[in-house]
Amino acid sequence: MFEGLALLGDGVAHFLTLQSLFNVLWATLLGIIIGLLPGLTATMGVALLVTLTYPMAPDQAILSLMCIYVGAIYGGSRTAILLAIPGTPASAATTLDGNPLAMSGKGGLAMGLATTSSALGTLVGIVCLALLAPLLTEAALNFGSYEFFWLALFGVVISGRLTAFDDPIKGYVAGLLGLLVAMIGMEGLHGYRRFTFGMSPLGGGIDLIPAMVGAFGLAEILVVMKRKVSAQIFDASDRVVPRIKDVWKYRRTTVRSGVIGTFVGIVPGVGEDIGAWGSYAAAKRKSAEADRFGKGSLEGLIAAETGNSAAIPGSMIPTLTLALPGSAAAAVLIAAMYIHGIRPGPMLLVENAPFLYQVVAMLALATLAILVLGLALTRVLLRVMTVPRERLMPVVYVLCVVGSFAIAQRMFDVYVMLVFGIIGFFLREMRYPMAPLVMGIILGTLLDVNLRRGLALSNGDLTPFFTRPVSAVICGLVVLSILFSIPVIQRLVTRLFITDRGPQGGSG
Amino acid sequence: MSREPQDPSAPPGAGDGAGGGPPPDSPPQADGDGAHMVRADLLTGVVLLVLGVAVVWMSWEMPRLEVRRIHPATVPGLVPGLLGIALAICGAILAARSVRVARDGAGWRRFGAAFLTTSAARVAVTMALALGYALVLVGWLPFWAASAVFVFVFIMLFERVFASSPHPLWRTVLTAGVQAIIVGVAVSVVFQTGFLVRLP
Repeated sequence: MFEGLALLGDGVAHFLTLQSLFNVLWATLLGIIIGLLPGLTATMGVALLVTLTYPMAPDQAILSLMCIYVGAIYGGSRTAILLAIPGTPASAATTLDGNPLAMSGKGGLAMGLATTSSALGTLVGIVCLALLAPLLTEAALNFGSYEFFWLALFGVVISGRLTAFDDPIKGYVAGLLGLLVAMIGMEGLHGYRRFTFGMSPLGGGIDLIPAMVGAFGLAEILVVMKRKVSAQIFDASDRVVPRIKDVWKYRRTTVRSGVIGTFVGIVPGVGEDIGAWGSYAAAKRKSAEADRFGKGSLEGLIAAETGNSAAIPGSMIPTLTLALPGSAAAAVLIAAMYIHGIRPGPMLLVENAPFLYQVVAMLALATLAILVLGLALTRVLLRVMTVPRERLMPVVYVLCVVGSFAIAQRMFDVYVMLVFGIIGFFLREMRYPMAPLVMGIILGTLLDVNLRRGLALSNGDLTPFFTRPVSAVICGLVVLSILFSIPVIQRLVTRLFITDRGPQGGSG
Repeated sequence: MSREPQDPSAPPGAGDGAGGGPPPDSPPQADGDGAHMVRADLLTGVVLLVLGVAVVWMSWEMPRLEVRRIHPATVPGLVPGLLGIALAICGAILAARSVRVARDGAGWRRFGAAFLTTSAARVAVTMALALGYALVLVGWLPFWAASAVFVFVFIMLFERVFASSPHPLWRTVLTAGVQAIIVGVAVSVVFQTGFLVRLP
């Protein structure tokens, strides 16, 4: 315990240098701007910036990326409130109450409370991260191939199940496509080159970063340019800095949403957007003023913003301890960590214990930065929001091309970006979620190698996959979540446990 | 996207430990576009089925590396084969469900009509510009010039052709030209001198 506190202190002290604080400032501000602009998401921001942070020292690079991540998830709230379109998918729930508040002339209050809630949400998540990550590492050190196989499968399945818009099978398909992409190139056990079709660059496999720049960059640009009209900005001239009593009044909602957000974040591949929806739904159930939800409820806004921000530290828990990305952006962070020679996973705490606490410190600094920047720069950020997409998107695309080229300095990665961008766009249009695809790409190798290694260890015997306690539990979860996505079984179960959960879809 | 009695508020997953929120059906969807989505699902279902079968076949054909005496349960084709089977099953379900949901011909017309809207034209133009820039311009022109041309053409097309109330022509040309050159030069300089990238 005390060792942990000492390491945490070291982590914070480590970043109290002028250079680090400078990086925190620009990266968080850039993150907020990325979040503000509809069509630029946290995942895309982090993926594009991996290139820029390449020449930096590893700790500074991850610090900058983390600040962009936190900033972008927060920045989306502002667009949600003032434009009624979520700046990033994470602030979709914020739109429900944030925009009615802006319409009734309380845009400033909404922006202020969104800022404090995001900061408090991240704080709740940070506490959970600092407490849970060492415990989980302890457990994960006993995991073998069998457990890691199931974890990888669980990551893809649960992400497919929970992020699919209305149809779990599309989530699973996205996950399977991601896993198949990961099969391309040299496999880890015998060095055989799979699915390369005689093209030598495919031998090294598909890099995650250009794929992500395509699926979250180009695809998003196409989605944005598809829309005919741009939205109207609502005026927000009232007081922005919220009163302490407003924040204190909703302390229960804040803590509850923070905890829910964190736990949603922990679920692999299920990130901030679901964190926000989960907290929002829970707040609505518990609230005395549930009928105000969707019509400008402060509590709803606070729940959504706390929930999505808390999911960030939450998503870092499996990311750091199991190398199992807690969200799509966390998957890109894993790729960035590998580029900088940091290996997340159970051995991280053994090999590089200070790093875990440095991540905690990074998140704390980013939180401070969103609080300061978010409350101070209202007017400037409003100006950014008015940049027309016709002017912005071509620039973003140039950066997508340079960004994917720059990592390995080869055109092949640009082609990968193009393919993923175009396929990603069509998949989005047909309402396939992107998160399971990312999970598949990053977890494919883990799944493949551990299944075959496990089989080799047990001499072809499948039983250890089902009889080892942890394996059995995760296997059960995988089976349950697949079973529950079959309509017939769903109906059967609901009939068995009829509850009065009326329709309470998120879009109010 | 079947319009089957699927409960929109169904608890998301049993083992998520997430506290059970509503599904993220954030963009509210009009029921009207269900018909063409069913057709899109049918097509994708068939494509996925074919892809899945192709993957299974390729995995089966992969060498088993018997000469190297590897354990037969660790052949390279094992996991891709299993994934191919799963993908084929998903594709079949998707296709079968779509066939069952709507049998009338209106869906196909709606599906085709989705490709003839202004939105579709905007997407097609963006896609053509994106491909033209990355595949043709880059490599043919110096990077800064290629980027400048791309940015200029992009802005001109969307601010003149697709805009409902465009600015005067000279103004668009001037501002787009200035922005194009600034972007082209700035990106090249920053990446070449700042990040030491040898641009294409």
